[in-house]
Amino acid sequence: MLMEIKKAAPGKGTMAFSPGDTGDLIDDNTILVQRTLRSGQKVHFDGNIVVLGDINPGAEVVATGNVIVMGSIRGVVHAGAAGDEEAVVMAFRLKPTQLRIATHITRPPDEQAGDPEQPEVARIKNGVVTIEALLTDRQGVI
Amino acid sequence: METASKEGELALSEVIVVTSGKGGVGKTTTTANLGVGLASQGHKVALVDADIGLRNLDVVLGLENRIVYDITDVTGGHCRLRQALIKDKRFEGLFLLPAAQTKDKTAVSPEEMKELCGELRQEFEFVIIDCPAGIEQGFRNAIAGADRAVVVTTPEVSAVRDADRIIGLLEAAELRDPKLIVNRLRSRMVRQGDMMSIEDIIDILAIDLLGVVPEDDMVVISTNRGEAVVQDDRSRSGQAYRNIVQRIKGEAVPMMNLDEGGLMYRLRRMIGLK
Ligand SMILES: Nc1ncnc2c1ncn2[C@@H]1O[C@H](COP(=O)(O)OP(=O)(O)OP(=O)(O)O)[C@@H](O)[C@H]1O
Ligand SMILES: [Mg+2]
Repeated sequence: MLMEIKKAAPGKGTMAFSPGDTGDLIDDNTILVQRTLRSGQKVHFDGNIVVLGDINPGAEVVATGNVIVMGSIRGVVHAGAAGDEEAVVMAFRLKPTQLRIATHITRPPDEQAGDPEQPEVARIKNGVVTIEALLTDRQGVI
Repeated sequence: METASKEGELALSEVIVVTSGKGGVGKTTTTANLGVGLASQGHKVALVDADIGLRNLDVVLGLENRIVYDITDVTGGHCRLRQALIKDKRFEGLFLLPAAQTKDKTAVSPEEMKELCGELRQEFEFVIIDCPAGIEQGFRNAIAGADRAVVVTTPEVSAVRDADRIIGLLEAAELRDPKLIVNRLRSRMVRQGDMMSIEDIIDILAIDLLGVVPEDDMVVISTNRGEAVVQDDRSRSGQAYRNIVQRIKGEAVPMMNLDEGGLMYRLRRMIGLK
């Protein structure tokens, strides 16, 4: 079923994002995409996908692991495509057309919320795809 | 801008393809205005109508009644290139290679197109190709012999989406660094938040801006007369096209002030002038 993405209230539910949280970020099964994915282009990968660029509307990224985008997500992204409910999607600007994690298919709420101002992470929390601000942690990790 | 690096040295024989993805956004208008603008400054220019089956560059230039041979006659060996080239009425250095009206887009192959462009560049300083809409064979033909690409879009979500698709395909075809023309901008609508702004468009497409042409009735009026608005000294669209012509030649021309706001400043920053 196509659900709306849940947005954690500002200030609440932010989380520190560290490799310790998601052990599967540390493996060599990661592909680095060094360009912006434009409309009509897609990347499917059995593992994690890191994009150094944007994912534009009409582009599609599907990973069995996590999807990390050092830019804007405006297209369709599917993390944990083989069913991994722990998979996350992270972007500097998270404004997807549709966001899928494992078997959860979500879209942003219809009312425009404006551009996110900080990096965000989407993950499944209590069975719902939830977007949270990415805390930059002074002690280190990210 | 990439072209700025060429300043000083004569940019000899460039083959430029004008593309868009979405139809009706202004490719033919742009091709005609670039051609007339460059030719009016004494350059030798060949315009190639690659929209086979739907030719209309000849109509826009008011040259329809002079067509004897077309591009497929040249590639098919029925005539020599010289015989098919139509000389413009007004400008000494402007020539048109018309499209065929009765054939389809598979009547020419990419290899033939490459050869044709190679032949044209021996005689002309600028070869400008009017690309058909879409991403099929006609598009592949049109870009086959080009050195540079210009992407035209209007400030509409669907047109920008298609422009993005085209830029991806151009990059895949090794036509790097395409330049953007935003056509039919209505600054009042942008101000009211009812139309995408130049910033919104650049944010998604992330390519250099070659120019912004405002929505202007004079474009339609000129076109219907078989003239190009670039020759009209009073119209804003004419000024916009004249600026684009200078930028194509590698000159740094500030963006027009289409708006009383801070738009000009932002545009100048965007193309790296400030
Ligand atoms: N800046 C403008 N202001 C007003 N009208 C415009 C402007 N630019 C183009 N037009 C009009 O829009 C219509 C479509 O333009 P044009 O034929 O150049 O588009 P095209 O991209 O070549 O279309 P096609 O994909 O069918 O080849 C024409 O009637 C033209 O006069
Ligand atoms: Mg056309």
